[in-house]
Amino acid sequence: MPESSSRVSPVAVSRTSTLVTHTGTWKYIRPVYRDLVAPCMEACPVGIDIEGYLNLLREGRLEDACDLLARENPMPAVTGRVCHHPCEVACNRRAYDEAVAVHAIERHLGDALLEQMPVAGAPRRPGSVAVVGSGPAGLACAYHLVRLGYSVTVFEAAAEPGGMLRLGIPAYRLPRSVLDRQIRWILGHGVALECGVRVGTDLPWPALWDRFDAVFLGLGAQKGRDLGVPGESLEGVWRGLDFLRSVNSGKRPELGRRVVVVGGGNTAMDCARTALRLGAEVTVLYRRTRAEMPAIEDEVQDAEREGVQFLFLAAPLRLVSEDGRVRAIECQRMRLGDADSSGRRAPVPIEGDRFTLDADAVLSAVGELADLEALPDDIARLPAGIVAGAFGETSRAAIFAGGDATRQPRTVADALGAGKRAAIGIDRYLRMVHGEPDRFPAAESLRYGPGGNLSATRWRGDDPIPRTAPANQVVRYQDLDLSYFVRQPRRAEARRGGGEGLRDFAEVNLGFDRETMFEEARRCFNCGVCNRCDVCLVLCPDLAIARTYSGYRLLLEYCKGCGICAAECPRGAITMIREEL
Amino acid sequence: MKKVMVGNHAVSWGARLARVEVISAYPITPQTQVVEALSEMCADGRLAARFIKVESEHSAMAACIGASAAGARAFTATSSQGLALMHEMLHWAANGRHPVVLANINRSLAPGWNIWTDQSDSLAQRDTGWIQLYCETNQEVLDTTIMAFKLAERLDLPVMLVLDAFYLSHTAEPVEIPDQDAVDAFLPPRQARYRLDVGDPRAFGGLVRPDAYMEMRWYLNEALRQAEVVYEEVEAEWARASGRRYGAVEAYRTDGAEVVLVTSGTMTSTARFVVDRLRERGEPVGVVKVKMFRPFPSETLRRVLHGVDRVAVLDRNLSPGRGGIFAEELRAALYAGDGFLRPAVFGYIVGLGGRDVTPRVLEEIVARTMREETPRREDLWVGVSP
Amino acid sequence: MTQIRFAGRLPEEDLVTSGHLACPGCAAPLAMRLVLKALGPKTIVVMPASCWSIIAGPWPQSSLRVPLYHTAFEAGAATASGIRAALDQRGDTETTVMVWAGDGGTFDIGLQALSGAAERNENILYVCYDNEAYMNTGIQRSSATPWGAWTTTTPERHPEASPKKDILAIMAAHRIPYAATATVGYPLDLVEKVRRARAVRGTRFLHILSPCPPGWKYPDEATIELSRMAVRCRIFPLVEVEYGQRWRLSFDPAPPEPVGPYLRKQGRFRHLAEPDVAYIQREVDARWDMVVRRVRESNGASGDWEPATAIGVGGEPPGMPT
Repeated sequence: MPESSSRVSPVAVSRTSTLVTHTGTWKYIRPVYRDLVAPCMEACPVGIDIEGYLNLLREGRLEDACDLLARENPMPAVTGRVCHHPCEVACNRRAYDEAVAVHAIERHLGDALLEQMPVAGAPRRPGSVAVVGSGPAGLACAYHLVRLGYSVTVFEAAAEPGGMLRLGIPAYRLPRSVLDRQIRWILGHGVALECGVRVGTDLPWPALWDRFDAVFLGLGAQKGRDLGVPGESLEGVWRGLDFLRSVNSGKRPELGRRVVVVGGGNTAMDCARTALRLGAEVTVLYRRTRAEMPAIEDEVQDAEREGVQFLFLAAPLRLVSEDGRVRAIECQRMRLGDADSSGRRAPVPIEGDRFTLDADAVLSAVGELADLEALPDDIARLPAGIVAGAFGETSRAAIFAGGDATRQPRTVADALGAGKRAAIGIDRYLRMVHGEPDRFPAAESLRYGPGGNLSATRWRGDDPIPRTAPANQVVRYQDLDLSYFVRQPRRAEARRGGGEGLRDFAEVNLGFDRETMFEEARRCFNCGVCNRCDVCLVLCPDLAIARTYSGYRLLLEYCKGCGICAAECPRGAITMIREEL
Repeated sequence: MKKVMVGNHAVSWGARLARVEVISAYPITPQTQVVEALSEMCADGRLAARFIKVESEHSAMAACIGASAAGARAFTATSSQGLALMHEMLHWAANGRHPVVLANINRSLAPGWNIWTDQSDSLAQRDTGWIQLYCETNQEVLDTTIMAFKLAERLDLPVMLVLDAFYLSHTAEPVEIPDQDAVDAFLPPRQARYRLDVGDPRAFGGLVRPDAYMEMRWYLNEALRQAEVVYEEVEAEWARASGRRYGAVEAYRTDGAEVVLVTSGTMTSTARFVVDRLRERGEPVGVVKVKMFRPFPSETLRRVLHGVDRVAVLDRNLSPGRGGIFAEELRAALYAGDGFLRPAVFGYIVGLGGRDVTPRVLEEIVARTMREETPRREDLWVGVSP
Repeated sequence: MTQIRFAGRLPEEDLVTSGHLACPGCAAPLAMRLVLKALGPKTIVVMPASCWSIIAGPWPQSSLRVPLYHTAFEAGAATASGIRAALDQRGDTETTVMVWAGDGGTFDIGLQALSGAAERNENILYVCYDNEAYMNTGIQRSSATPWGAWTTTTPERHPEASPKKDILAIMAAHRIPYAATATVGYPLDLVEKVRRARAVRGTRFLHILSPCPPGWKYPDEATIELSRMAVRCRIFPLVEVEYGQRWRLSFDPAPPEPVGPYLRKQGRFRHLAEPDVAYIQREVDARWDMVVRRVRESNGASGDWEPATAIGVGGEPPGMPT
């Protein structure tokens, strides 16, 4: 037969591949890898790349996960223990089986971070910043500012730093050793701390304005709210916060046998469990039902487990005294009415239905107020707190605020988030002052999802995770392909003591061991973000997806636009778009 | 070594000596002895071939094609209905340029059932691209089987050797069996030009569009056009080893012949006998045996029939509605001759379905050919009494 | 296992090339891709007429990186038998000879040659990718077309009236060493079955359901989902059969999904009324019972034979490893 150099060979024997045929011309839609935002991240008041560090953990990259977490959250060992973790409420996995135990993983990473103290770098940027208050908001602001290169000094009125973390949260939830190490770790980044300095008296406001280029006010809300019923000044009646502060500073007040805690939030739970540890029989009085309680569910369960009694749909009417000391509490039975502005059903009194409860002590835990009397007048405020903008800016230039002293939910996470927002705001402000181009990214582009908090990483623009065409859109449950998941229960944290009557303040929740932590991290759906599972790569009928170092590349010259990759992506990280003509 | 054997066994012996590697066949009368003997040879180790006992002739040819595509020397044998069933795969073998060798025992086609000799089965496959070689004796069958592989592998074309049912297939004759060494020297192991090879992965026989299909058919035709010359070369080489040669076309006592009988298969022996007798009587009669039907040896026939007045073509076959196929082909070959003094071609349909073609029949045909003024428009059916 | 990942679980090498001529969303090239991942480069493919005759690319191209022989429609198994014989003659017992046929070339015109090869226990792997009609010629019915389906030769007012031929039972009746079903919806299961098939000598048969967007009339991107649905509603049970005797379920979708959503997702069943769907459900249930009966009957005989667990079957199938 003639040689195959002829145009046509004698036999139909192939001599090339179909790669010469560019079937990509057939398509009218095409896929794009588009990283979206996981709902946990939008829900997180701190603004943490939760999906990102869980994915790193899935890859076994513990150090990288810690680093990613620490970019946004200066105190994961604390939040891992005490945060109310709205991330888990938002978690898409919750609709499938159970939410990923983000808080427990975060706690493990937080503890791991504390294993190594950071080395402080010298300030790299001009400008020094004062932070007033060393609670979570203040420390977060200071932390992010030193990471941004500023010189920062924190002023704390109390003898020890930590604010409400130290005074408000019992040690069985947040061991003091953890808190101390966490604060040391933050300071280790180069934050200067001056305790026992009350700004406004020890250090006058004008002096502060003069000494620093910018100031962050993280004053907190430390004034317990009154019950507003007769008898509140009786002996044995405590503001819950004062009670906690007293116990947390080492005192062991005498309460008597029967203690009634009024309220359904975390302070109420803290008061109840602390009182329990002092030997009391504790009843929590709450005017709505268990379902409406704002306290963290785990805390309520722990309280129940430890023997705290609950009395729902009851509100105090007056405190009954004997010898100037409270002896009982008269209560009004309630029922649930229509939903109020918070979306919960409002308690409505049932006329004529009253009862009396014996009480040797009454702890009121019905909320806290910010004490802003000493603050200069030119910083605008409302009854609920200081008015602060998206970057924590107040009505006075160079002054920023955040945390419980501002109008925002009073949680540790919200405080940490506010501190970060203000740090970004201060960086932005100081750069403007120093004449840097005033084109800064809008707050919207810095948020994790439209409703999320600002990201320090996005602000710095140094995301270590490779992103492909990211869009700030939150992945919904229906965007996922659940065929690629297997139901698996959430791991439970180890807990100390199973029975009633815990009498010490040692930590109750023992968290995850390392293996459990990794296992739980692998439960994450990685909503919206490619985690290189290869589903798209393997299922492309046209082999139009190639592996790259960091992910995948589309071979659009062959892609026929069938959409299988986008339909099958377990986590909604591929979007089909119309082909441009 | 000389051995008395039936034609079917001569086929088996030829395949064995050619060291076929893969055999795939399905039994059909009168071919069965071919595969029975090969089965014995494979079973007792005299032949190191893989014999695939398939469930149909279609599969037999498909398996041979597969084996050949993978580089093996492949062989099958069939007859009549079996060949007809293979038809699709015969095209496949030729277009795919697979040098498969097939022995076809000429048998008529049903209905009604008739197992006796008739060339209509093989001639119906004339357009499949196969070389066709018709044999006269058992010795020729054995020699042709061996030569068929050489021819096939030189041209990458499939070869069909053809022998008459019973007159050859089941008739014992003394046959000289060549030494294996001689055959090995003549026919070394197959070196396939293209084969399925995981080291050089290629696709065979995919979609070919109009811009190339015609060229591939042209190549096939070119290969067949060369086949007569290559056959003569192969035969010359075989003649050096065996001392025997047959020719694509053989002229027997045609010198000065006024009438030449054109024959194929075992009728040729009868024709030789008749011609000898007539020559003794002084009648100028000869025989031209056509061994190679595809490619049709047109040039050679024009040459050997040059100056002959009358040609009587004996067709043990029928293209219904047209007549004898050899006569038809010969007429076409002679017509194509430029400035050639054409003999008159007389066509005779004889011996269909195994009816005996006796010396007496041939003598009548010679006589009639001499007697007629011009050939009839249509071939004459000899001895038909409807 | 809490999520199914393919990363690191499948051979990296692909022996199918882009630029092939399958319709968008076609399962057939994907099935080939997965099968060849499991078989590797020492494979010769025999391809009787089917959609893949086109997908393989026009001369002088090929979309396969392994040798490919195109053969006649009914000749797949026979051609492969010949290739196998030739390889064996050369001492090459390692290379897999695989027939890659559609449902027409398997259930219909190729069944005789397949039966012959299976009866001879030819050492070949026969893969039928089943798109349930003659798709390449324009969606004409085959004996693999399910009851009630529209095709161009079974129009809506007179849809397919015969049940789908039970090819797996036919092959099992040949007592070949290995027969199995698979879909591209469960790639890990498919690849595992091919690996198993490759490790066995003799005739091995793999029946792959191959959804066809234009022929079944559904959107291109739903191919994988339909493959999974077919398994989950038990229309296409994932099973393995050894020597025709030992039946194993790869995956028991309990509770099964109803057939309705699977049928309703496809335009070819659009004309079916609810009683028709109910009839199909009964037929599917009956065949499932038959399969389960065989599995149960072979439990005593199965010995240490482990099923190719349908790893990659997600969505919490009970009884699946997690």
